Amino acid sequence: MDRTLALSADLSRASIVVAVGLAALGIALLGLEVRGRRESRWLVLATGAAAALLSLVAILRPASVRTKSARVGARVTVLVDRSRSMLLPGLGGTRDEVGARALAALSHAAKDARITVSGFGEGPASPVGDGPPSFVRSDLGAAVLRLLDEPGEPPAALVVVSDGRLDASRGDRELTEALSRRRIPLSAVAVATDAPRDASVLKVSTSGAAVAHQATPMTIEVACAGLSCDAVPYHVRELLDGAAPQELASGTVSLSRGAGSVDVPITLERAGPRLVEVSIDAPSGDAIPDNDRRTLVVDVTRERVRLLHVAGRPTYDVRALRNWLKSNASVDVIAFFILRSDRSEVTAPDSELALIRFPVDELFTTELPTFDAVVLQDFDAVPYMRGEMSKYLRNLAEYVERGGGLVMVGGPGSFSDGGYAGSDLARVLPVKLEGRRGGDNVDQARVAPRVTTQGAAAPMLAPVRALLGGELPTMPGANIVGDARDGALVLWEHPTRVTSTGKPMPLLSLVEHGDGRSIALGLDGAHRLGFGEVAARAAGRGHGALWDGLLGWLMRDPRFEPAQVELVAPCLTGRPTKLRVVPLPGTTGDVVVDLVPATESPRGTVRRVAIPPGAGSVEVDLGALEPGGYMARVKVGDGGGATRRAIACERGGDEWADPRPDEARLRALAAATSGEVVRATDAARLSLPAAAEVISEMHVSPLAPAWAWTLLATLALGAHWIARRRGGLS
Amino acid sequence: MIDGRLGRRALLAGAAAGLAAPRALAFGDEGAFHPRLLLTGTSRLEGPRARATARWAEDLRRQTSAPSRVTPGTVRADAPQLLAEPFAVWAGEGAIAPLTIREVEGLRKFLLIGGILLVDDAAPEGGAFGRDARRELARVLPESAVIKLPEKHVVYHSFYLLARPVGRVEGPDHLDAISLAGTAQVLFSSHDLLGALAREREGTPTYRVEPGGERQRELATRLAVNIAMYVLCSNYKDDQVHAPMLMKRRAPK
Repeated sequence: MDRTLALSADLSRASIVVAVGLAALGIALLGLEVRGRRESRWLVLATGAAAALLSLVAILRPASVRTKSARVGARVTVLVDRSRSMLLPGLGGTRDEVGARALAALSHAAKDARITVSGFGEGPASPVGDGPPSFVRSDLGAAVLRLLDEPGEPPAALVVVSDGRLDASRGDRELTEALSRRRIPLSAVAVATDAPRDASVLKVSTSGAAVAHQATPMTIEVACAGLSCDAVPYHVRELLDGAAPQELASGTVSLSRGAGSVDVPITLERAGPRLVEVSIDAPSGDAIPDNDRRTLVVDVTRERVRLLHVAGRPTYDVRALRNWLKSNASVDVIAFFILRSDRSEVTAPDSELALIRFPVDELFTTELPTFDAVVLQDFDAVPYMRGEMSKYLRNLAEYVERGGGLVMVGGPGSFSDGGYAGSDLARVLPVKLEGRRGGDNVDQARVAPRVTTQGAAAPMLAPVRALLGGELPTMPGANIVGDARDGALVLWEHPTRVTSTGKPMPLLSLVEHGDGRSIALGLDGAHRLGFGEVAARAAGRGHGALWDGLLGWLMRDPRFEPAQVELVAPCLTGRPTKLRVVPLPGTTGDVVVDLVPATESPRGTVRRVAIPPGAGSVEVDLGALEPGGYMARVKVGDGGGATRRAIACERGGDEWADPRPDEARLRALAAATSGEVVRATDAARLSLPAAAEVISEMHVSPLAPAWAWTLLATLALGAHWIARRRGGLS
Repeated sequence: MIDGRLGRRALLAGAAAGLAAPRALAFGDEGAFHPRLLLTGTSRLEGPRARATARWAEDLRRQTSAPSRVTPGTVRADAPQLLAEPFAVWAGEGAIAPLTIREVEGLRKFLLIGGILLVDDAAPEGGAFGRDARRELARVLPESAVIKLPEKHVVYHSFYLLARPVGRVEGPDHLDAISLAGTAQVLFSSHDLLGALAREREGTPTYRVEPGGERQRELATRLAVNIAMYVLCSNYKDDQVHAPMLMKRRAPK
């Protein structure tokens, strides 16, 4: 313990100076006063000086101070990069492993320092867990700036353990200026210095929104280091659920100085979130195959719904649908109505007829993918498809599987009587077709469809419910169909007729099939919603309301989806993927997520989560997914249909797209803050701030009580007064 | 209105077809073309033209793929049944008494929900019916004016290519119309179209067609088919996909 003298702690420095100054001034003036005097000169001077000094001591009240101190190491905060790029190769192992070894060496070498270790990646720094790095960003700026705002002792130095492949939500300058103001140096331990021998899809970007049926420019940037890759082949494919991927573009990217890009137009025919895979054929020796392909979700909008309306004969039902379609500004309808059949007796020459050939081959082959939806209304396929019928119907089925929308509307030439039973098309319809063409496939009894429980809650029927409530007009009979297929939703059913299995016969049903959707309306009297006694109560708007909901659902209009679905965080292999499901208000029951890989032969997994009462949203854990594209079909309660969410899952994502370490960036940050950069192997040699002396214990004891000093000063003043009087001074 | 020139049997048959309680329609029939005759005031269904609608329906069924009801009925302007289907024919040859308020309202509702009305003047030489029909329809749709239907209108090429309308008489070279929201919903014919279609029971034409004779009757039949197709398909033939064909072909004069 050390002992020292100190003055009273309750005096300011200024008051001490004034007191000392006044005492010195008094003594000096006294010296001037007694100069030249012989008598009692020294006595007056001595008693005066003693009085002044004792008065000064009475003011300053000196004390004895005993202190106990210790050396305390500087507070050093180590920020370890926890982004997924740390899983790439570094200086003898993965960058994460290299960083861990460097951190151990640094901790061992800097025993005096008080080191705290945190991880950075997304948002503020967080404790370093046991798992592998999982962040999809390396946002050093956000971590440091948040750290500086924390109360308490600021760090004396920051040490960053990273590969330098940093993201910057805030600019590097803002970061370095904030550190410089606080005189906190930022040093770095570089865990990787050399780029791996690797070719990668560096970046994929589209300019502007992708619009269905229109070419969208896509820019593909490719990087290559350490390999012979002057020209790298690329492929762009759309991943489909239940069908083979569809190639959208392919070619070769020319590289110069390890980088190159190509602009390629791609045309996506289906609107909504589409899964697109961009891949390259990397040269042999490629170190990181996982970054040779990127999977992304492209949100495709549509300017207008391009709809093919094929009617087997003109009727009031056809008229009603056409009028609604043509009045809907968001629909671009291409219509083909069969106006003349083989049985028609037309004597006029063709030149006097306004008829054109039904381009069945073009429509159901080359042109088919250009449509968002196809409506087959009372269309008997047999006479028009003839020998090619199986091909055309297979094309239509594949069209649905690839994301198209199909509606089959009833009539004497529809469903089984249209020759669809047993065809490829039949398997994408929501109902089974059991009848034989020309058989007894029509129920002639008039029918008012009965709304099912699901139909009463289905969002796609909300517009009709709003106008007509639950009342539907009577219609003249129905097409006889079988049971609804698995996964289909029956909205209207026959009130009396049952299928061969005893279930009520579906009249209006819908289903998801592959990437697409289909609707079966086994009636030809839907126009009764527009004309008729019941319809008149809604000013004839019921028919349009029905089709607004049906076409909206077919085209995945959010208004008619049973829920809003979003990813909680980007999907990356190795960490749990979660969906946030926001059901429609008042929805009860379970959220059922059917997760299907976008492959030709997918095997889905189903997860079910109950909706807690009053919950605004539900999170569904899909687990850790392998790289690739997925389609999550989310069903909520009995609301009908499934909302789809495309999920692109990657092993490395953006963090692996450019695997080159960036030591230069670390050096720039360090230089701007008076720090230094060492390689991981030299981590022990990193200079850290020296330890500081810190007083841990202090005892203060006055040399004498204040009253004693005052008494002595008074006595001295009294002696001085007597000495002055005897010396003849006043 | 059509004056009584029918024999008693024909009158009874026509009345039975038109006024009897509607029979249950088979699946596929309810959406069939149905040229209902519109009745107003105290008018009744009488005369050869009452059967002309059946001929019209039969011609349509025979010549095209469109289904039609071969025993068309009637409907009163103030009856709720007017709103049950989207088409009616208002034919007559004399002056028309002013429509009642209920008739005006009924017709207005019918047209506002998208119905199409053909007004056929059976005596265009005098023109009283056409003139009075225009007057009454001005009460039904006071905000809409009667316009001349342009020669490129879809009704002239909805099935046959026609250069102009004709009926029992050659009449004016155009139809008039009242359009609602861009769609011609009231068509005015001053050609006695039903007169050209009317047949006796044995199938012979009831009226001479002048001045063009049977060729004119054929063109009148084609106009009737076109009007039916316009009712059933709306402006389908105006779609862009038909444009190249229509550019190449010209309507016969």
